Amino acid sequence: MTVIADPGADPTAPDAHARGRVLASPVTGQEFVLLGVIAVLWVLLGFSTPAFLTAGSLQPLLVEVAPVALIGIGMTMVIITGGIDISVGGAIMVCAVTVAQTLVTYEMSIWVALVISVAVGAGLGMLNGFLIAYGRVPAIIITFGTANLFQFLGLQIFGSSTVNGIPSTLDVVGRGVNGRTLGIPHSFFITVVLVALAWWYLRHTVGGRHLYAIGGDPVAARLAGVRVRRRTLLVYLITGALVGVGALFYLAKGTSTLDQSVGSGRELAVIAAVVIGGTSIMGGRGSVLGTLLGALLVQTVTSGVTQLGWPSQLSDLFVGLAIIVAVGTDLLRQRARTSATRSQR
Amino acid sequence: MSAPPDSGLARLSLTGVSKRYGGVRAIRTADFTVGPGRIHALVGENGAGKSTLIKIIAGAEIADTGEIEYEGAPVTIGDTLAAIDLGIATVYQEPQLFAELTVAENIFLGRELRKGARIDWATQNEQVVELLALLGLPGSLSTVPAGELSIATQQQISIAKALNGRAKVLILDEPSAILTDAEIEILFGVVRRLASTGVSVIYISHRLDELFRIADEVTVMRDGETIGTYPIGELSVRKIAELMVGGELTEHAGVRTVPDGDPLLRLERLGLQGSFHDVDVDVRPGEIVGLYGLVGSGVAEIASTVYGIDAYTAGRMWLCGKQIRPRSPRHAGKLGIALLPANRKLQGMFSFQSIAFNISVAHLPLLSKSGAFVDRLRERQTAVDLIKQLSIKTPSERQPVGAMSGGNAQKVVLARQLVERPQVLVLAEPTQGVDVGAKEEIYRIIGELADQGTAVLVATSDLSEALRIADRLLVIRAGSVAAEFGPGATQVDVLSAAAGGTAEHSDITGTTTLTTSTNDGTSS
Amino acid sequence: MTTTVPPTTPPPPRPSKKPPAAPTEQRTASIGSGLLRAVLTQRVVLLVVLLVAVVVVNMLLSANGYLTATYDFDYLASALIDAVPLVMLALAELIVIVSGRGGIDLSIGAIVSLSGMVFGFAYQQWGWPFWAGLVLSAATGTVLGLVNGILVAKLGFPALIATLATWYAYKSIAVVINDQKPISGKAIQGLFSSVNDKNVWLIGDWIPDIPLGVFTYMLPVVVGVWILLARGTYGRRLYGIGTNDTAATFAGIDVAGTRMRAYALSGLIGGIAAVYLVAEFSSARTDLGTAGNGLALPAITIAVLGGVAITGGIGRVAGVVLAALLVTWLNLGIQLSFQGNEGIQFQLLALGVLLVFAALLNGVATRRYGGTS
Repeated sequence: MTVIADPGADPTAPDAHARGRVLASPVTGQEFVLLGVIAVLWVLLGFSTPAFLTAGSLQPLLVEVAPVALIGIGMTMVIITGGIDISVGGAIMVCAVTVAQTLVTYEMSIWVALVISVAVGAGLGMLNGFLIAYGRVPAIIITFGTANLFQFLGLQIFGSSTVNGIPSTLDVVGRGVNGRTLGIPHSFFITVVLVALAWWYLRHTVGGRHLYAIGGDPVAARLAGVRVRRRTLLVYLITGALVGVGALFYLAKGTSTLDQSVGSGRELAVIAAVVIGGTSIMGGRGSVLGTLLGALLVQTVTSGVTQLGWPSQLSDLFVGLAIIVAVGTDLLRQRARTSATRSQR
Repeated sequence: MSAPPDSGLARLSLTGVSKRYGGVRAIRTADFTVGPGRIHALVGENGAGKSTLIKIIAGAEIADTGEIEYEGAPVTIGDTLAAIDLGIATVYQEPQLFAELTVAENIFLGRELRKGARIDWATQNEQVVELLALLGLPGSLSTVPAGELSIATQQQISIAKALNGRAKVLILDEPSAILTDAEIEILFGVVRRLASTGVSVIYISHRLDELFRIADEVTVMRDGETIGTYPIGELSVRKIAELMVGGELTEHAGVRTVPDGDPLLRLERLGLQGSFHDVDVDVRPGEIVGLYGLVGSGVAEIASTVYGIDAYTAGRMWLCGKQIRPRSPRHAGKLGIALLPANRKLQGMFSFQSIAFNISVAHLPLLSKSGAFVDRLRERQTAVDLIKQLSIKTPSERQPVGAMSGGNAQKVVLARQLVERPQVLVLAEPTQGVDVGAKEEIYRIIGELADQGTAVLVATSDLSEALRIADRLLVIRAGSVAAEFGPGATQVDVLSAAAGGTAEHSDITGTTTLTTSTNDGTSS
Repeated sequence: MTTTVPPTTPPPPRPSKKPPAAPTEQRTASIGSGLLRAVLTQRVVLLVVLLVAVVVVNMLLSANGYLTATYDFDYLASALIDAVPLVMLALAELIVIVSGRGGIDLSIGAIVSLSGMVFGFAYQQWGWPFWAGLVLSAATGTVLGLVNGILVAKLGFPALIATLATWYAYKSIAVVINDQKPISGKAIQGLFSSVNDKNVWLIGDWIPDIPLGVFTYMLPVVVGVWILLARGTYGRRLYGIGTNDTAATFAGIDVAGTRMRAYALSGLIGGIAAVYLVAEFSSARTDLGTAGNGLALPAITIAVLGGVAITGGIGRVAGVVLAALLVTWLNLGIQLSFQGNEGIQFQLLALGVLLVFAALLNGVATRRYGGTS
């Protein structure tokens, strides 16, 4: 706690690393740590279960990562603005069952299915966004409510307990051979492309940067000319649209039936990935790259536990611990930073 | 009194401006003119109308009467955006930056430069580097997240942000209150540089001594009126102080007779790193000691340290002859120390809870049966008694305090401190935001409490309050005791001691009532 | 905050719940707006109105033969078997949400699962007496809740994150602790009548068919929480820290300790509810509180519907109990209006609509009257 006598010392300090660069580092410390942890896990698992580092093991892993990371893009944006969306599980169900039913009834291409799914998802997201941005109600409450509504809607569309005889239209994004090119699952590829796009959007566009401002201080952001309501509506809408895409991934599981458990509990899995990825639940800070890595870590642990022959549910314990460790280290960093700033006063 | 400065065409001038809030006249009549490239200080006591005048210029309030001319043409400033469009920028005391965004982003937030879909980082940064250079700051700051900067640097960034709208008038609202001396020097460099480029600076400060290093002219406000504008060369700290307080006589409560005895509370060379140091204060039972200082002088921190919000880092503290070191408010409370906090809404009130709740919440062990259950009968009785004793105006003790007026709410928070008569009562800004009637009642209550033997320490930045209530007054400046006054002190003396005091600019060193206070001088 | 008061003349600030002897002409004029205000700002009033409406409408429907079974008091009473865990867990959420700083307990369902498994071990496999099993289950829940409390109150984790993490961890342990198998047997199966017996001792003949569990589990917890919050010194501290953290610190309250205890209490109630659910299902299931959507979501929903402000400091036991009854009896009516499974889906709809409606109403009430209570 030393008072810096010469304030000139403080501005010069960042000189070394920031000169010549227009923006802060593209990869955060937390992301490097996550990459390291994942790498270490892969090596360890590769040694202990030789089957782990084979295509037959890694491809399903990536297929599982895809929808969580994809929907995680939207959730990351939502959480950056200081909100949350508990309703994505229900929304997944609505999109998946809508597409399943139309596929069973009508013959259509995957593109039509995609349009339907995204439109439905975006509609649900817009309902959330509208209630949150214009109803001035905490996001957590509204999405708790709409989670129930969406489940109702989904179950209504189900009609019976399962949808049977779904054609193989969606196999291109599924887990089978049709779903891969050069060994890479299409769903994962699509996810990576969208993550890159979102990363660019959050980092380089006015709209993206404004999300951080909203999460930091919505009132100050509004005074600075940020269109807070419109942006808030938009992030929930984007989340809904991504749910529409992700629902296709869930639907293309390789079986011709869809049961009512689709989407159940996914909201928490997505939030877990986002949080492990270093996005602050308090808003104002986060990255989609972290979310992708968070989802990858969670799935690595899940696959690893199974392949080691441990009870599969044990993986949840590690997920819980991962959240504690990821958020805990972040808290420590924040605390060190605030006390450093304070001591400069 | 004196005419506006002869700086050619005025950039901004206000004539005959007045403003009422409900029944309160915040500004009776104000005239104010600032020319291009001038640094124009605006001074006055709390409640003199400075902040209202600033709000009118910044578009945050609209004047009831009067005219505003900007660059020779009459204008109406309907809202803050209109002010910004005109080129009037305001920097408030606490920097409001987004911690996670870089300096450049903060400066351009809401008016980003684009290149296609993308933000044009390169051009934006170039302009920020220029802007920073204008303020004498290194360009490399541009890409640093604002949250990583010191408060002083953040404030300079706020100035840069304000200027980015090509401001021609820059209002600085007490910028120095939160800065260290070295940081203030840098700020002054920035301000002078801006003025030399033609920006008109309106500078508000309570630290009168610093005006002599920065201001070209000074406008003094008193009781909602502008008393006059003077070139700085005609002034001294004492002269400004006289203008601020006017010729009025200080009203004392009448000299209280303080019983002799050993001090109940004794601070001995007490210090808190970064806030205050070497503070010696003795408070005897039944005595009311005032600590007067400007915002940022350390007065508030002394009060909160005595109450254990921070544990002191130097010196010693004694209570009834025993050395103590309060680590938390809970600890201090157990020792018999109570605090009326400075920020009522944030630190004092439980807004949507009842009056009874607000009073009893700090005394649950006393107002309970076996510690676990609230003794509702006694809780109610205590609340009803205190409502009567403090003349709190309310139909029932079940009313939520959030709906009460400032004075009444303050009495409720004060009532909380009186449930168990504390040995030491510390009051921080006891009448801030309180109407005149309630003010007098609060003073009466404090006096009665002292009469019962409580040692009272009043920490305040309100001059007339300090003089009105204290048996003995210590003036705190820059974190240590600058002077001590007995009951005969005048406003001008006290203000000069608190706000200035360097030999070149003031003549207070010769004042007889002023005693240097490393010893524990006794009153009378 | 109301702005009806001119700044210079302080009283009278905001009419109280029972206006103390208001002038008669004002009273007659404002009965309508007063009623509206009561419904909007007093959640308990709104819930009572809704509850009566639901029961009356359903009884009328039933009398006219629109429902698949008779919607009478006996039926209402026997449906309470579902309300018991709902009320208990919603009260657990009430406590943590009132504690403020974004308080919430997502892990409550997992706490129920794990405590239930521990109870299963003790009561079925180790042959402990019932009371000892109950105490162990409650203690387990308390410890699990305490972990949440330490994470949130002492280490500064956001409650949502801390309890999300422990939700994962606890539910995982609950499953693997007995090798993914539920615990059941004679002892546990014998417990069913202890929660569902309709012939309550002494008064059984005089009241509708209320299941025993209402008296042995729900009422003690309701009364206990009510005493703690409305009559206990702990309640004062809890509402204090939930209303204003900083002011509570200045008033000498142990903020972190009080908040930590809130989470421990939530766990304690979870541990008791676990025993009830084990008895109701006659089995200590590994996913007792986490199956499907889990028990946390409905519990939080009921709490919010009962008028608990997610921002902390506001919420009453009566509101939560009424909200749980409303949902239970509304669900019953819905169930009887449909054949088969359809009813369950419409229950989701009803819950969702009620919650969104309640949340929007809170917003309106805040803007118009300065808040709900």
